[in-house]
Amino acid sequence: MTLALLLLALGTFLLRLLPWRGEGSLRAGQAGPALVVALFLVSAFSPPPSPEWLRTGLALLGTYLGARLTGNLGLAVFLGVGLYGLLGLL
Amino acid sequence: MREGLEAAWPIALGYFPVAVAFGALGAQAGLGYLWIQLTSLLVFAGASQFALLGLLAQGVPPLLAATLGLLLNLRHAFYGPALRPYLKGGPLEAFFLTDEVFALALKALPGLLPEERRGYFLGLGLGAYLSWNLGTALGALGAKGLLAWPVLGEALSFALPALFLLLALPHLRNPLALLAGGAALALHLLGQTAWGLFLAGVIGLFGGRRP
Repeated sequence: MTLALLLLALGTFLLRLLPWRGEGSLRAGQAGPALVVALFLVSAFSPPPSPEWLRTGLALLGTYLGARLTGNLGLAVFLGVGLYGLLGLL
Repeated sequence: MREGLEAAWPIALGYFPVAVAFGALGAQAGLGYLWIQLTSLLVFAGASQFALLGLLAQGVPPLLAATLGLLLNLRHAFYGPALRPYLKGGPLEAFFLTDEVFALALKALPGLLPEERRGYFLGLGLGAYLSWNLGTALGALGAKGLLAWPVLGEALSFALPALFLLLALPHLRNPLALLAGGAALALHLLGQTAWGLFLAGVIGLFGGRRP
């Protein structure tokens, strides 16, 4: 079991390190923006589609408005978390 | 480094309840505290840690469980090349390269002076790492009562989607990013999240190349 842990740790580390260091071997194209949008959608919407998505959507809207109003990323996330929690109480 | 540490708090906020859940699950599965903590200390990749735990608990052979966990992390191979124009990757930087650290770094690094970037990135990674490991320790040592208020744990877990939204906003008019995101979401809804993210990376990698 410890061997599995070490293999996972080493493999994950190399997956992160080697492509980063490989000068010119792998050009990123638009992988960055593509992955950020994908990470957002995947983290926000859990399957299957449900009314929970409405709560998530409203809290995301609150997060967006928070960012527009305050210009502070951390504060906007905090507002979104609070709104999401409040909507869960309804 | 201090600026990076300060910028890491939305990530830390989101990581903490997930890490507590990871530690608590490990303890419930009968794993020793040391093993659970070592997993978070050495792997630092949430989804694959949960997968390793679940697969081992189901009696899957350890090496196969580790291999499946690695498949989940294939998407990480795209992160370094995307950051390479702004920061050279070393062992420490690579160790901290989670989904959230990558996304926040991709937004912040271009606006920093080259000499500030490494410290910022390491501060970001360290903040995330400390939160992940503190949460793991508390969960494994039986502090899952911290999440006894379901609303609190659930609300804190929303920090990560909220953070990703704000990081994704500048890219939501990019048709290729939207295509990649749509493909990832479709596979995610079919229960294939890791492959969806991998596909998004492939679309971004090859779709963005000029002939």
